[in-house]
Amino acid sequence: MSLTSAEELKLKKKALDLRTNVLRMMKASRAGHVGGAMSSAEILTVLYFHIMNVSPENFKDNNRDRFVLSAGHKCLILYAALAELGFIDYSVLDTYGSMGCLLPGHPNMKIPGVEANTGALGHGLSISGGMAQGLKLNGSDARVFTVMGDGELAEGSNWEAFAAAAHHRLDNLLAFIDWNGLQIGGKTADVMNYSPLTEKLEAFGWSVINIDGHDLNAIVDAVTTASETKGKPTAVIAKTIKSKGLSFAEGKAGYHYWKASDEEIAEAEANLEQQRTELTAMEGGAE
Amino acid sequence: MNKEALNPRIVFGDALLEAGQKNDRVLAISTDSSGGSQLTAFKNAFPERHIEYGIMEQGAVGYAAGLATTGWVPFYAAIAPFVTGRPFEMLKDDLGYMKTNVKVVGRCSGVTYSDLGPTHHSIDDFAMLQTIPGMTILNPGDPVSIKKAVLAAADTYGPMYIRIGSPSMPVLYDESINFEIGKGIEMREGSDVTLIATGTMLAYAVEACEKLEAEGVSVQLIDMHTIKPLDTALISRCASKTGRIVTLEEHYINGGLGSAVARYCSETNPVPVKCLGVKDEWVGNGPYEPLLESCGLGLDQIVKDIAEFAK
Repeated sequence: MSLTSAEELKLKKKALDLRTNVLRMMKASRAGHVGGAMSSAEILTVLYFHIMNVSPENFKDNNRDRFVLSAGHKCLILYAALAELGFIDYSVLDTYGSMGCLLPGHPNMKIPGVEANTGALGHGLSISGGMAQGLKLNGSDARVFTVMGDGELAEGSNWEAFAAAAHHRLDNLLAFIDWNGLQIGGKTADVMNYSPLTEKLEAFGWSVINIDGHDLNAIVDAVTTASETKGKPTAVIAKTIKSKGLSFAEGKAGYHYWKASDEEIAEAEANLEQQRTELTAMEGGAE
Repeated sequence: MNKEALNPRIVFGDALLEAGQKNDRVLAISTDSSGGSQLTAFKNAFPERHIEYGIMEQGAVGYAAGLATTGWVPFYAAIAPFVTGRPFEMLKDDLGYMKTNVKVVGRCSGVTYSDLGPTHHSIDDFAMLQTIPGMTILNPGDPVSIKKAVLAAADTYGPMYIRIGSPSMPVLYDESINFEIGKGIEMREGSDVTLIATGTMLAYAVEACEKLEAEGVSVQLIDMHTIKPLDTALISRCASKTGRIVTLEEHYINGGLGSAVARYCSETNPVPVKCLGVKDEWVGNGPYEPLLESCGLGLDQIVKDIAEFAK
């Protein structure tokens, strides 16, 4: 079911909160994989704040939904969400990049709320598939969500995982592919072209949905459709903009890993402040 | 000594069935070789607890890790090189780093697939897996200890690798033997030299000790069924007692049990250590025993090497 306008506005603000948390970590460390973090902000916002039954209170519950960040380098956005959910204190964000801090450059399970140690690409979908299969064997109706990168698709182990998930009819597994079209070496289509992806995944036995990955309603609808799809897993190809929200970095491969200058930090803060002003105005309008 | 010989794969399959009967969370995982891994009895008894993934040895480790996070105890069995070298990064990250309760069983290890050539040999698995913090490595040397290793693995949390061969193995122990992960077994008292053997080489070691005794060499024999964590206390005792150590394994000398023993001794209890194993070269192909002999691991060569070292 689509979002009400009030729900949509609330989630837009939450996505902005996540981006603001990402910038907070970047201010502390001055280096991080910001491009893919920002491109997947709406996906994580919808999953963590509208879909999944995950909270610090129920994290030991076997029937909780699972989230696995297969593209572990997007960890800034995951940490941003975990802070909003109360898994970690906001002050921890300010330690990002410091010696021995809780938050490494790729997530691990020492961090409250993290379900899998990822970072090496091509692992998360297999782990997610195993989780989905284990939950089914347990008789649980919990679901497993994973976010993959488009550049990550070149890892062959993913295609083992895609095949096995379809073979075992893991309809409780949903994989978002954050299709921002860029990877560290340039355009994904130039580095190693995996288009047409829809046809490939359908041939592998998956249900495939294409959406605008920054459209909150489209994300919600895709999850709803996936929930109603029985007997096969669902892939959501989410077309996104790398570094979305940072005007100077949007759509530039060079910001896959951002080494932030003082000037860029100031510009990023101004960008996000502007977005907050616009959302506040919308909120006023809604009233 | 009871010299009855049993097929280690069948022993493994029976042990896994028993583990599955005792613990209803035990799963059997295969990648197109469930028959070769002797999982048929388990499959027949618990069809819902056997999962087939086809020939995807990397992905299967990740799936096993995911299953483990939901409370299952997966035993993933396949030909040794394809569950170790092939998916090494998955073993490191998805099992070791995540500390998942997955048991990987490499069967037909060493040069068991002698005629199939180096792609199917697994004489580097200890070297690779020893680098993974928290990874337990078991290499039982007779059918009784294979069974006990499997049951102990099912009862002990954490990532583990269990290595078994394929040719029939003599029964060296009776059921009363105390098999404890991380504790080597003193099989024979001796005073001139300590022989630390593991896995498929244990039966050769037992025979070698008898021949050496006849030649007047008194050998202390240790079954080091656990490669990691290594029983360093036992190694220290033996080093102090006999002053010399020989290690014996169906594995490269580089990175194997011998390397671990020699490193430990050099740091804590320096004594001469002779490592018997496969040298730094490609093993050829042919029948199993002649191939072992070509690696210097035939019984006569082992006896000769130990006798010379013990002088």
